[in-house]
Amino acid sequence: MDLTSFAGPFLPEIVLLAGVLLVYLLDVLKLRSNELVGSIAVAATGFALLFVVADLGFTPFALLRTLPASSVDPTFSGGYPLYAFTSLGLVFQAIFLLATCLVSLASLSRPREERGAPIFYGLLLLATLGMLLVAVAADLIFLLLAIEVTSLATYLLVGYTRRDSRSLEAAMKMYIIGALSTTLSFFGASLLYGAYGTTNLYAIRAIGILNTGAGAGSYPVLVLLGYGFLIVGLAFKATLVPFHAWAVDVYDGAPTDVTAFLAGGSKKMGLFAFFLVLLAPILFVRTVASGSPFTTTQVALGPVLQITLAVLAVLTMTVGNVLALLQKEMKRMLAYSSISQAGYMLIGITVGTAPALAGATLQIFAHVFMKGGAFLLVAGVSAWGIGPLIDDWKGLGTRRPLAGVAFALMLLSMAGVPLTVGFVSKFVLFSAAVQAQGYFVWLAIAGLLNSALSVFYYARVLRVMFFEQAAPNPLPAGTVVGGSEPPILPAGGFGYGRAAAIGLVVIVIVAVGVYPQMVLGAVQSAAQHFVNFGA
Amino acid sequence: MTDLPIVGFVGLSAALLAVGLFGILTRRNFILLLIAIEIAMNAAILNFVYFAAYAGGTPGLTGQSIAVVLVGFGATEVAVGLAIVLALNRLKGTINVARATELKL
Amino acid sequence: MIYEEIAFVLLALVAIATGVLALLVRELVHTILWVAVFFVDLAALYFLLDAPFLGVLQLGVYAGAVTVLLLFGIMVTRKRIFSQEARIGIGAIPFGLAVVTFIFVVAAIGEFPQSSTTIYTYDPTALSQNLFNVNGPWLLLLGLIMLVAVGGAIYLVREGRE
Repeated sequence: MDLTSFAGPFLPEIVLLAGVLLVYLLDVLKLRSNELVGSIAVAATGFALLFVVADLGFTPFALLRTLPASSVDPTFSGGYPLYAFTSLGLVFQAIFLLATCLVSLASLSRPREERGAPIFYGLLLLATLGMLLVAVAADLIFLLLAIEVTSLATYLLVGYTRRDSRSLEAAMKMYIIGALSTTLSFFGASLLYGAYGTTNLYAIRAIGILNTGAGAGSYPVLVLLGYGFLIVGLAFKATLVPFHAWAVDVYDGAPTDVTAFLAGGSKKMGLFAFFLVLLAPILFVRTVASGSPFTTTQVALGPVLQITLAVLAVLTMTVGNVLALLQKEMKRMLAYSSISQAGYMLIGITVGTAPALAGATLQIFAHVFMKGGAFLLVAGVSAWGIGPLIDDWKGLGTRRPLAGVAFALMLLSMAGVPLTVGFVSKFVLFSAAVQAQGYFVWLAIAGLLNSALSVFYYARVLRVMFFEQAAPNPLPAGTVVGGSEPPILPAGGFGYGRAAAIGLVVIVIVAVGVYPQMVLGAVQSAAQHFVNFGA
Repeated sequence: MTDLPIVGFVGLSAALLAVGLFGILTRRNFILLLIAIEIAMNAAILNFVYFAAYAGGTPGLTGQSIAVVLVGFGATEVAVGLAIVLALNRLKGTINVARATELKL
Repeated sequence: MIYEEIAFVLLALVAIATGVLALLVRELVHTILWVAVFFVDLAALYFLLDAPFLGVLQLGVYAGAVTVLLLFGIMVTRKRIFSQEARIGIGAIPFGLAVVTFIFVVAAIGEFPQSSTTIYTYDPTALSQNLFNVNGPWLLLLGLIMLVAVGGAIYLVREGRE
C-alpha cells in the first residue's frame, strides 16, 4: 500500500485524527481550558469540511482538492476495494462534519471551569472520524467496524460527565442496546458472508444483479435472514420503531450538547448505513422491473425487504409523532419528534429511486440543522433557569425574543412550513415517492398525514412560548433543573459560540428554504450516481 | 482430511445466538449482560470461521481474517462496558440502581 | 470421519450447556468458571476446524483476557451494586423470542449439504498476507476503536483529583 496515495483521499480523516492527538496531548500537558481545546476541535472539523467540499468538486476550493475526480464514483475493474468514494458519501461526510462543527462551536460556550473538556472534544472528533469512514465504506465489515468507532465514542460521550448518575445510566443503557445491535449486525453479516462468500457490498450487488456465481439463488433463506439481522441491528442505531425505546431515555439523560450530536450526527450515520446495505437488494426489484432475467427466489427477496422497510417507516413516523404529542418535557418531545423524522428518511430508502434518495438526503441535511440546533438551544436556555418542562418555556418569546424566534423557526422547519429547509426536503421526498407509483403513494400519504399531526405539538410549543405569561417566579440564572435527580449537569451557557452556532442554523434554514438550488442540484446528482454506481 | 457436517455448525451457532439473546433479554446483572452479549458475539465469530472452512481460496482467508478482527473487537467492547459500569459503581451511594438496570426494549 | 463428528457433537453440546449455565447459575463466580469453559470449548472447535491461529487467539484473548476482565469486574462491583439481582427467572416472552430466533436460523439448514464435507485448511502465511495486506484497513479500524476505548475508558474510571 503506497502511503501517499492512501493518505491523499483520507486527508479529512487525518486532519481529525491530528486534532484528536493534539487535544489528548494538551490533556497530558494539563492545558484543559474549554475554549482552547474547543477551538482546536472547531478548526479541525472546519478544515476537514473544506477538504470534503473541495473533493465534492466545488470549484472555488479546487486548490484544496486531494481526491482526484477520477476516484469519485469509480468503476470497479478487477476486484472490489474495501472503501470507495461516492459523491453521495462525500455529501454525507459534509453533513456529518457540519453537525460536529455546530456542536463543538456551541460547546465553546460551556463554563470554563468544566473539567473533561479534552476528552469531550477528543471523543467528539473520534466519533466524527468513524462517521466519515462509514460514508466511504464499500465493505460490510469495514462499515460495521466504522460504525463501532462512532458507537463506542458515543457511549463514552454520553457518560463523560462521570459525576452525574443520570448520564452514566444513560451511557449504560446505550451501551447494552448498542452492543446487542452490533452483535446482531455482525451475525447478519456472517450469514451474508456464508451465502455470497464475500462481504463486499458492491460485489454482493453485482452477484445479485448479474446473477453470476453462487449467489442469492443458492441460499435464499440465508440471505433473507442475513438482511433481516442487519436491518434489526441497524434499526437500533437509526432509532426506528420498535427498536427506539432506548433513544428517548438516552437523549433525555445525556448532556444536552451530546444529545444534539446523537440526534444530529450519529443517528444519521445509522441511516446512511441503511442506504449502503439495503440498496443492493432493493435494486434487485428495480432491475427486475425493467426486464432482466432473474430466478424466482432472487426476485422474491427485494419486495419482502421493501415491504418490511415500508412497514417500519410508517410505524416509526406514526408512533414517534403520537408519543411526541403526549410529552410534557421539552427534551423528550424533541427526542420523539426525532424518531418520527427517521421514518420520513426511511421512505427514501424504501422507494430506492434516485429522486427519493435525494429527498432522504435532503431530509437528513435539514434534520441536522433543525434538531441539532434545537437541542443546542435547549442546552443554552437551561443557563437562564428554564426547566425541562415545556411549560417552563412560557413567555420566552417575549423575554428573550431572539432565542424565541430562532427556536420558532426550527420548529416551523420541522413541521415543514414553506420557505424553510424542512419544507423543501419533505416536498422532494414525497413527490419522489408519488412518482414511483405503486404502494409508495400510500407511503407519501402517510408521511403527509404525519406531518399534519406533528404540527399540533410544534404549535403547542409556539403557543406556550409566545402567547402565555411567564411563570411568576423564574429560577435564578445559572441553576440547572435536571428532573428528579440532583442537578450536576454543567450549565449550558449561552456565550458567543452557541450564539454563532444557532445563528448559522437559522441562516441555513432560511437560505436553503428560500433558495433550495444551493444544495438541491449537488444532492440530486450525487444520488443519481449512487444508484448507478458500480452496477 | 477432516470431514465435518456444516449443518451441525449452523445449528450450533443458531443455538448460541438464541442463548445469548435470551440472556440479554432476561438478565439484569450488568456482568451477565456482558457475558450474554459475548456469547452471541462468539456465535457470529463461529459463523465466520466455519463458513471460511467450507469456502476455500481467497473467500475463506477473508472469513478467517474477519474472525481475527472480531475477536479483538469483542475484547475491546467488554473493556468499554466494564469502564462504564465501574464509573457507575463509584457513584453507588447516590444512584438508584433499579432504574439504571430497568431496560425497556 | 466418524471420530471428528463425535468430537464435534460433544464440543457443541458442551458449548450450549456452558453458555446456558453461565447465564443461569446463582453465584457470579461460578458464572465466570462456566464462561471460561465456554471460551476454551470454542477454541477447541476452531482447532477441530483446522484453524489453529484462531484457536490460539481465542484462548489468549477470550479465555484469557476477557475472562480475567469479567472476573475483575465482578470482584470490584460484587455486593455493592448488583448482588441482589442475581436470581433465576425465565420470562416467557424472552424465552419465546430466543426460540423463534433459533428456529429462524435453523430454517436455513435445508440449504446446506446434510452429509459431512471436507473442510479447507489455510496456511498461516497466507492468512497473515490476507489480514495485513488486502484487508489492512480492518486492522486500522480496530486500532481506531481501541484508541476510542483506551482514552474514554481511562477517563471514566480514573479518580478525579479535581
